[in-house]
Amino acid sequence: MIDYVPGKVAWFEENEPREGKAVDETWIGDVADAEVPTCGLTEKIGDIRGRTAGWDTCVVVNPERVVLGLLRKKELEGDATATAQQVMRPGPKTFRPNVTLEELLKSMRDHDIQTNSLVTNAEGKLLGVISRADAEATLAHDNAAAAAS
Amino acid sequence: MPSQVFSVTDVKRLLAEGAQLVDVLGEDEFEHDHLPGAINIPLKRLDASTTAGLDRNRPVLVYCNDFG
Repeated sequence: MIDYVPGKVAWFEENEPREGKAVDETWIGDVADAEVPTCGLTEKIGDIRGRTAGWDTCVVVNPERVVLGLLRKKELEGDATATAQQVMRPGPKTFRPNVTLEELLKSMRDHDIQTNSLVTNAEGKLLGVISRADAEATLAHDNAAAAAS
Repeated sequence: MPSQVFSVTDVKRLLAEGAQLVDVLGEDEFEHDHLPGAINIPLKRLDASTTAGLDRNRPVLVYCNDFG
C-alpha cells in the first residue's frame, strides 16, 4: 500500500480534475484566465507595457512562474524606465483553484476587491487570474442555468 | 515500490502503471469530491471484507484529505 501523503486537497490545489457532486460547482481554477501577461523582476515597465495592451494587470513571476508581485494600471502607466521590481506590489493576495466562485466573490465583496484576483497552486505558481466582473457574470450565468434546469 | 508519494506526478505515474486508488474519507465527503477513478473505503470500515474487491497483484494508492 502506498500513501499519497499530501492528499486530496493538494491534488485539487494543483488544479487537477475531480469527480463527484463538485463537478457541478464552479471552482475558480475552472475559469481562471491563464493568458494573463507576466514579466520578470528586471524587465522595464516600458517593455512590459508593449505587450499588456488590453490588460490592467501584469503578474511579476520568477522563472518557475511563482508569483512575486503585481503591476496594476498605475504602475503600467508609470515610469517606463523603472523595473518591475522597483514598482511592483509585492506579495499579492492569491487564491487556490479549488475555491468556489461563490467563496471568491464573497471575499472580493467583503474586501471591496474590484480588480483581478490571482489563482495559484500551493507552491505559489501562477495558474491564472479572474476579474470581479467575470466572476460576477459567471456566477450569475451558473445560477440562471441552475434555476432553469 | 515507495511506501509514500508526495507529488501529483508520482500519483499519475502509479495510476498509469495500474495502481488502484482508494479514498479513505467518509462517504459524504467522497460523494462531494474525489480524485478521478478512486473508490471509497472509509478508514473506519477498512478491513479484510471491504478490501476484498481490490486486486492483490496491483499497487494500492490511498489518500485522505491532507497532511493532517
